[in-house]
Amino acid sequence: MSLDILNTAISRRRFLQVSGATGAAAAAGAGLEGVIGQPVPKAMAASAESKTVVTKNVCNQCPARCGIDVYTTDGRVYAIYGSLESPISNGKLCPKGYLGAYFLYDPDRFRGPMKRTNPKKGRDEDPKFVQISWDEALKTVADRLNALRDKGESHRFAILEGRGWGASDAGLHGTFGALYGSPNVAIGHSATCADASKKAKLLLDGNYSYNAYDYANTNYMLIFGASFLDAYRPYNNNLQVWGHIRTKSPKTKVTAVDTHLNTTLAAADRALLIKPGTDGALALAIAHVILTAGLWDRNFVGDFKDGVNHFKVGEATLKPEDFNEKWTKGLIEWWNVELKDRTPKWAAGITTIPERDIVAVARELATTRPAMVLFERGPTAHSNGVYNGMAIHSLNALIGSMYAEGGLMSQMGVPYGKLPVRADDYMDDYAKSDDRKKHPRIDLVKQEWLMASNQSQAVAGNHLAGKPYKLDTILFYMTAPIYSAPEARKWEEALQSMYVIDTSPFPGETAMFADLVLPDHTYLERLQDAPTYPFQGWPMTTLRVPAVKPLHDTKVYGDVLIEIGKRIKGPMSEYYRKLGNTENLIRHLAKGFAENPGTNGVNSFESWKEKGCWYRKPYLWRQVHGEFFEWDGAGYKKPMTPEDVKKKLLKTASGKFEFKASYVQDNEKYAAYINKHLGVPIERVGFPQWVAPKFYGGGDLHLNTPKLALQAEGRAGNVPHATTIAQPVVGGRRTIYLEIHPEAARKRGIRDGDRVRIKSEVGSVEAIARHYQGVRPDVVVLPNILGHWAQGRWARQNRLPTGSASELIVNKSEPISGLAMYYATKVTVQRA
Amino acid sequence: MNHFAEPRNFAEVARYLVALWRREGTLQFLRLSSTLGSEKSVAGEMWKYGVVFGLLSFAFISYMLLTEGGAAFNTSSDGINWGLAVSTYVFFALTSSGLTFIASLSMVFGFREYYAVAKRCIWLAIITLGAAFTALALELGHPFRMLWAMPSGLQYLSPMFWMGVFYLIDLVLLLIKFDRLWHDDWDSPLSHFLSIASFVAVILASGMLGLVFGSMVMRPMWYGSFTAVYFILTAALSGTAAIVLATYLAYGFRHENMPEPLRSMASGKALSKVIATLSGIALFSVVTRLWTGLWSNLDGLEGFHALVGSPAFHLEVWAGLALPFVLMVTPSLQRQPRWQITAAALVLPAMFIDRHLFLVTGQAVPMFKGAWATELTAYVPSVTEWAITVLSVAIVFAFYGLGEKLFNLAADPRHKVRESAEEGNLVLKPVPAGRAASPTAPGAAS
Amino acid sequence: MAKWGMVIDLEKCTGCQACTAACAMENNRLPGEQWQDVVFFTEGEYPSVQAKWFPRPCMHCENPSCVHVCPVRATYKTGDGFVLVDWNRCIGCKYCMIACPYGVRFYTDEKPLVGPDLKTVFKSNDERSWNPPWKMPDARENWKRGVGIQPRGVVSKCTFCYHRVSKAPKGVADLSEHDPETREYTPACVVACPPTARYFGDLDNPDSEVSKMIANKNGVRLLDQLGNKPQVYYLTGSGGAVPSNRAIRKT
Repeated sequence: MSLDILNTAISRRRFLQVSGATGAAAAAGAGLEGVIGQPVPKAMAASAESKTVVTKNVCNQCPARCGIDVYTTDGRVYAIYGSLESPISNGKLCPKGYLGAYFLYDPDRFRGPMKRTNPKKGRDEDPKFVQISWDEALKTVADRLNALRDKGESHRFAILEGRGWGASDAGLHGTFGALYGSPNVAIGHSATCADASKKAKLLLDGNYSYNAYDYANTNYMLIFGASFLDAYRPYNNNLQVWGHIRTKSPKTKVTAVDTHLNTTLAAADRALLIKPGTDGALALAIAHVILTAGLWDRNFVGDFKDGVNHFKVGEATLKPEDFNEKWTKGLIEWWNVELKDRTPKWAAGITTIPERDIVAVARELATTRPAMVLFERGPTAHSNGVYNGMAIHSLNALIGSMYAEGGLMSQMGVPYGKLPVRADDYMDDYAKSDDRKKHPRIDLVKQEWLMASNQSQAVAGNHLAGKPYKLDTILFYMTAPIYSAPEARKWEEALQSMYVIDTSPFPGETAMFADLVLPDHTYLERLQDAPTYPFQGWPMTTLRVPAVKPLHDTKVYGDVLIEIGKRIKGPMSEYYRKLGNTENLIRHLAKGFAENPGTNGVNSFESWKEKGCWYRKPYLWRQVHGEFFEWDGAGYKKPMTPEDVKKKLLKTASGKFEFKASYVQDNEKYAAYINKHLGVPIERVGFPQWVAPKFYGGGDLHLNTPKLALQAEGRAGNVPHATTIAQPVVGGRRTIYLEIHPEAARKRGIRDGDRVRIKSEVGSVEAIARHYQGVRPDVVVLPNILGHWAQGRWARQNRLPTGSASELIVNKSEPISGLAMYYATKVTVQRA
Repeated sequence: MNHFAEPRNFAEVARYLVALWRREGTLQFLRLSSTLGSEKSVAGEMWKYGVVFGLLSFAFISYMLLTEGGAAFNTSSDGINWGLAVSTYVFFALTSSGLTFIASLSMVFGFREYYAVAKRCIWLAIITLGAAFTALALELGHPFRMLWAMPSGLQYLSPMFWMGVFYLIDLVLLLIKFDRLWHDDWDSPLSHFLSIASFVAVILASGMLGLVFGSMVMRPMWYGSFTAVYFILTAALSGTAAIVLATYLAYGFRHENMPEPLRSMASGKALSKVIATLSGIALFSVVTRLWTGLWSNLDGLEGFHALVGSPAFHLEVWAGLALPFVLMVTPSLQRQPRWQITAAALVLPAMFIDRHLFLVTGQAVPMFKGAWATELTAYVPSVTEWAITVLSVAIVFAFYGLGEKLFNLAADPRHKVRESAEEGNLVLKPVPAGRAASPTAPGAAS
Repeated sequence: MAKWGMVIDLEKCTGCQACTAACAMENNRLPGEQWQDVVFFTEGEYPSVQAKWFPRPCMHCENPSCVHVCPVRATYKTGDGFVLVDWNRCIGCKYCMIACPYGVRFYTDEKPLVGPDLKTVFKSNDERSWNPPWKMPDARENWKRGVGIQPRGVVSKCTFCYHRVSKAPKGVADLSEHDPETREYTPACVVACPPTARYFGDLDNPDSEVSKMIANKNGVRLLDQLGNKPQVYYLTGSGGAVPSNRAIRKT
């Protein structure tokens, strides 16, 4: 009986003892969702496996927050399944989830804190790590940070964060930066993620975030470059949704747009293989057809005062005052300056999508209710990314899907409890001094990158150039630009002249350049909170409960940061002493649930651990036939005023969905910036519009580097099972193939299965070519997977491609959002 | 023991060996054992090289199997499940069957001219079957488990079960029959019965080996009762080629070294016409099989396309079947030892190629591997797999050499063994090329 | 006695391979030893190219050719429809692999698909061929049924998760992963399937969900012309297809 495992789990035997009580609770609760306890039937519980314990955790392999049941016998994890109690998992997982034990039992994991003893850094340099104590490790960091502070150079310490989880890890960064006095704590990874889609939404509907979607109730999906069935978050739930929407009545029809036939396009009713970077043109033409055919949602958008459709091809003489706009703003102006000429014929010339298909998609989209349009990095990781995104997102307004059933929503926050200490009380004079404010961030956001949130991909270059200054110490948490950032190899140069601290449990490329390794627990060993990414709108947060005691001398990252904080001179250390540790922090977070009990009954730290998640349904707002309502406890019945809508939903200046985005149109600095960088005339910067994409790299084939189901976050490089099923459509079983159209291959003398060299101006990688009819002849596809030169024995041994696809990507960023243009590189391909 | 004749049983052999060891001392005894006598002889060379290569290859295989296990093979669950070791098994098992057929020509059907090779055929059939079983045992995951699992399972639906049963019967009958011949029992009712039973068993065994493949409807390249017939016919061909080669080999490829009945048989057409007939039939079978395979649209027959593109296949058809056929039907050539040897030397490797290509192309279409295996499976045997083939060949050579020394393989009901002793068919004594042997005891020269 | 069978709705299947991964971990399979694989194949030419897929577990045939060819009766059919391998009997002749029309049998005593070989990284110090830290609890292992980590030199195959299904209460018509009462008895691939494209139940019970789906949605069986009579049925709907051939690219 292993009840002592951190006292967190419910064993099967214990379940038997408590099931009577919880059964009663279930009967009183809200049906299936109220059932408490583990779904382990009694017959099994009584069997020989009585030592089996099931703990709640959250999968770590992508940011979706899938709740998992971790099955442990005698302290050994032997199975992971989706948790029935998680509204994202619903008892299911994507293929990655099941492979979780590989991370826990990875034989290449760091066994404890490590210190580098080889001063030389390089791919071929053995760091010669020696294990040290946590005390020594933490003191080493604190001494460095204290020394920087003493010199007034605390800005030269940076933390680069990737997909943090919640308040107990990445959520600690802001405070740490403020107390310590560095603008570079932390620099997020969002500019190598999907900032352009968020920015496009900010400009149009005022929400700088991804959307929540009501997939289950939609009848039409138009997907632009978001590989719904390959890697799009929350992948596991998307798959569940797919099973539902494709067999419900009526069946949801799906059109998917991408540059190669992935499983999403293959499963869709219509696959449109579009020329890279031209998705905006397609969306504009669809909008054009919707308007000229008179198919827009009059409830949401409004109508011509005379009830007659005056949208005629090429006619720019419409007057805004002739149209009563309801929840949108600037439609007529948009038509006049942009849409009138965006005919399907025009778009066909740009996108290579046949005119007939464009018209058909537009008609289907606008005549099916509810419908939704989604997009992500595919159309936006281009020089015209934000404008592409705006053109696409505008369709959601034209078809009235904003906040409608079967449409899009915004994600609500979690009512966490307050922390026991206030950071403001512990700011010392140094941290508050003006001297601190004068140092820009190392990535120059708000300066060179006027509108961007992050520019982590610029850090290596800026550091090397000493512009604005050189970093002294850098700490990486959940991010590895040395493997995944554009021009990844530049990081190898940059990291030679910094003191590098890595926190990953695994010996990745960053660790090979690290001076100090402070290994995190793997996720099955962690206690950690993780509020959901935008999902279905209603608030939700999840909790990782350790399934086993840490196998090695590792420490959860949040505690590492707190421990470092305790060792910084001044009141900062007092703050962190008061905060204590992450468990204390999480207990305080959970106090918020007492006032806001979850739909599943979670109202305390203990019940949170038992269930693994807190959530509160339903979503509070809905647009019905052009009117907005708030949930009144029984239905969406309470009408909302335009002020309510502006405050809670459409957060633009006008409180409307703005086809003419005041965010940039009314901000002279922004307008001038966009004009300077994209050449868009100042008077029209606010409109969704066609801007021709620019390409880099000097090659003749567009390079698409998608994610795949088995490695959505690049974390499975050392998981052999993931490698063997990685690229199913073209058969990547030991390797990741370069997908190339047979015609393109023949022209270059490349046979199916030949080893080829893929080259751009910034790098070259070798891979095996696979002829594939499903890829555009002007595109090659090299999934951004494998090609590790570190990360563990399997990752290293299975080194085809010979490098990360990121080594080929030219480090250019979309100017408005700062998003790295991952898909704007052109390469040459030749036989190796 | 001055006048040493063929031992009549293994006790005699053992007694002789002990006596020899005592007399000569350990070192000299080993030296003599390694060459089967003090003088250089073809049999001794076969034995020597057979043992050396056999031991080397066995040591290598053992090392590989102990260190790497099945990973030492290039077979895989994704494509070729049965590789070179199984080809080797099939080749030697069918050659053994063919040798039994040739023996049956005289012993069952009364074609008296074939008596000259009958005993040699039986011995060769025994050792080739042993070589076949060795190859198979090294390929199996648990060869020894088979000994109890097959009898206790009695899976009468399995062609492999019956193949095992019939080959076991075949082996037992061959051993008894050889024992009878060893004791000069050529025509007792028991001997006659054994011959007939053995013939029936070997038809069933080789036919059942054919059905191991022929029953596989999911492997259309193999499927059909024709496969059993094809196996029986080509078994006979490879058996014939084997006996021709083996016989000439025993006499250093020199016609004049042969004892009389053998010499007259060799200069006749007896074996030539068998080779001609069977290679003609085999050629026809291969071509018709290929024809239907290429012509048919049935899914799973794609391996035939690979066959056409394979140089080994063309070597088999043109050099290994067509050419020997032409040689052996040409009146001016068919009696000449040189061309008989050439024909046999071409046919035998061709039969090996045939077994291998049959086996591999039949599995070349991977079963439902989709994108994981987009084309016909490629297969190149590993060094370990080749070592198994080498081991099997070495076993045949070694034991043929030993048999040649130990038993009077040229025995013939018309030439009683003891009378022919003067002619030089003495046991454990070299047959020096071009010289009539004197009845001296082995080792006497030293 | 139940006759267990599976229905796979290809209209729902997204080709995500969660079944493959879940099976591998539940049953401690080696990389590449995909008892439950998803077979992808492509047809047609750009831009009208099709990519299709279908999951391919062992069909647990009513009339299993693998059972018939096994010379030692190591592979056998149980009364309730499982086709299993007894690892204490199997001689590793691989004839069953030759005779299986669906390619679902594995002999892992061969070159690893990816290196380094997990069998050497997680070395076994007993008869098991390897010893992953996440291996199933000993109490579940059952070599007579081919459950657990196999010894060297034997053939392995999908067991329909015998160790789960065989413990199901008697008389249950369907095993659903959504029902907490039957979830733990349901085969791993069914539990795992995110779009719920898989159903598991008693084919002999005309009232079972699987029987009804086969009837209502026109269940078909793979390579039915061979007469193996699979107990796995596919619903092709309008979005899926099973190939009528072996799904290789014709050269």
